[in-house]
Amino acid sequence: MSTLKRYQFPALIIALILLAAMPADLTGLGIPWTGFKRYGLYIISLWLVTAIAAMGVNLIMGYAGQETLAQAAFLGIGAYTMALLTTKLGVPYFVAFAAAGALCFVVGILLGFPALRVQKHYLAFVTLAFAVFVWLFIRNEQWLTGGVFGIQDVPRPVIFGIKTRPPLVFYWFVLFMTVVLAAVMWWLLRSPWGRAFTALRENPVRAESLGIDVRSYKLLAFAVGSAYGGFAGALYAPLVEFIDPAPFALGPSLYYLLMILVGGMGYFLGPFVGAAVGVLIPEWLRFTEGLAPIIFAVIVMIMVALAPRGILGLIEQLLTPKRRPHSDVTGPTLGAGATLTKSSAEKVTS
Amino acid sequence: MKIDRFGFVFGALVLATGVAMPAMAQDVIKIPNIIELSGGGAPVGQMWKNGSTMAVEEINAKGGILGKKIQMEFVDTASDPGKARAGVQRALDDKPMAIFGPIYSGSVNVTLKLTNEAEVPQIMGGEAAPLTAQGSKYLFRTSFGQNVSMPKIAQYLKDGVKAQTVAVVYQNNDFGKGGRNAIIPELEKRGIKVAADLSTEPGQADFAPDVVKVKAANADAIFVYLTEEESARFLIEAKKQGVTKPLIGETTLLGQKVIDLAKDAAEGVKGHVGLTADADNPLVKDYDKKFTAKYGHRSDHNGMKGYMAPYMLKAAVEKAGKWDPKAIAAALHGLTIDPAKEPGILLNGTWDENGDIDRESYLAEVKGGKQVIVQTLPKLKP
Repeated sequence: MSTLKRYQFPALIIALILLAAMPADLTGLGIPWTGFKRYGLYIISLWLVTAIAAMGVNLIMGYAGQETLAQAAFLGIGAYTMALLTTKLGVPYFVAFAAAGALCFVVGILLGFPALRVQKHYLAFVTLAFAVFVWLFIRNEQWLTGGVFGIQDVPRPVIFGIKTRPPLVFYWFVLFMTVVLAAVMWWLLRSPWGRAFTALRENPVRAESLGIDVRSYKLLAFAVGSAYGGFAGALYAPLVEFIDPAPFALGPSLYYLLMILVGGMGYFLGPFVGAAVGVLIPEWLRFTEGLAPIIFAVIVMIMVALAPRGILGLIEQLLTPKRRPHSDVTGPTLGAGATLTKSSAEKVTS
Repeated sequence: MKIDRFGFVFGALVLATGVAMPAMAQDVIKIPNIIELSGGGAPVGQMWKNGSTMAVEEINAKGGILGKKIQMEFVDTASDPGKARAGVQRALDDKPMAIFGPIYSGSVNVTLKLTNEAEVPQIMGGEAAPLTAQGSKYLFRTSFGQNVSMPKIAQYLKDGVKAQTVAVVYQNNDFGKGGRNAIIPELEKRGIKVAADLSTEPGQADFAPDVVKVKAANADAIFVYLTEEESARFLIEAKKQGVTKPLIGETTLLGQKVIDLAKDAAEGVKGHVGLTADADNPLVKDYDKKFTAKYGHRSDHNGMKGYMAPYMLKAAVEKAGKWDPKAIAAALHGLTIDPAKEPGILLNGTWDENGDIDRESYLAEVKGGKQVIVQTLPKLKP
């Protein structure tokens, strides 16, 4: 773990520079690299947007130990809020962006409030019903949402006079928003709130006995996670420039769950890895025509079988030097459960 | 040893050039098809794929278009507009001469601006009315839009069926709702009252409650606008509940697939058909025979749409006299393709400035487990 930790910050900076520079045409700087074409830019932007929504799921599931099957529905609320406010009322982008997140936060609280009185599977069922409800609403309330015809020409924003209509500029904009939202998530997880979330997941009874208001924290995690879905939706709408009900149905919600499982639940970078698997692999498999869903399913099953803690879990396992079970002198010695708690806590702080 | 290796490399290079040369000289034009190969639209996409593959094989066997062979590339949209957009975007990055597809109107809707901006002709299968009304100079239909077919069916309901009230059953997606939105004003314009306006779900299995409602409306005729499988389920339920009023449809309701699925429940169904392999036309009959022999099942209208797309391209490229996307689009506007000169087009068709198509169509009826053409409707502007 410590080796990973030492290189973390420089690695992050390098990764960001690469992400920003890779899609651009660098021939002007004397580097023989012409960058990505529009398709590549679209896919890499879609990857980041998906990762933002998956970050929300990771907070709810990986950190707070709850379950949600409604992330695509929150994405839909965010996307339709953005589309309606900008196309029909001409509201400035960032106001609509904030509104999308705020609306999802409020809906998250309203939805979570009754549901969180019960154990986690019940929350999953409530969110499942909610996901179907949202999809039916946006499909049937044509006066508001355009129904099955969707909403066309969702504008891309103009920020400080810079038009983000060109694909590369919009990608940089999405990258910037992703970095901001990831930084907020990072701060949140390291704050006392974040520690409380983890405490809830590991041992709710003990957390409660230590004075943590279990219900409020669960609710907070659920609402913040849902708001991330809304933010992602507010970026998705101008990315595709057209929205219809299809991407916000129950199926895509399950897909976010899958991405978190494959990427690594409870790892900060898990959503990014999971979204890469969920967005990029199906794109690469396009050449197989109709076989793509079957091949994708097989790949995911193999991944889950080989790496039950996700890809990042597997990497961590491979990088951590193997220790003998009893050589861990610094750890608690009260048995396997306590050791598990410690390693999970490490995950959060690292 | 050194010489051996040199010889090996040299030999490999010669071999590689030898293999590469004819491939380069052949000059193949790649045409991407961005179509529904998985998800809800898979049967539709498969038909299109088969039809277009057959047409390209025929064209290539006769020497291609202006001496260039066509190579088809099939890309799946998974019946999802977002994925369709990515697929079309990827195809456009390679600067193709034209693209084929998508077939689902929603997927066409998200991609038509991309092809318009890239100035690449898009020959597609969508039927929703608004597609060609958005001013793209690069979008072309392979079948009637609902803006053309719905007035025809409304006229038929008035003159042929002599209905004064009609119950409309549609499917709640862009196809069904688009058709519903197009026909209702046409009915009202002709003084026909809409007695019921019923929405059903795509993929719906049980139509019992809908048929009950339709019966209760007691209209003179029932207009059923659903995709193939749903149409068959509706017809079976209508027979079960003893519906006696005429069941009228547009293309999908009278398709071979519906007849195969619904069997005798499809008996007596009438309607307007834009494209059908049952048309009384020697070229269409010949097409039907070839398609059935090659794939082991009959073609529906989507197979025919896919079959016509490469021939539309061929006629346009030959009129333009060169392989150039802008020139191809310009050549297709106002072009009439005559089957006497280009048998692959099957039916005489004219494409207008919006990419809408005008050609003859049919009034048909299901009799004895087959679609029978009752009347041929001429082109609107002959």
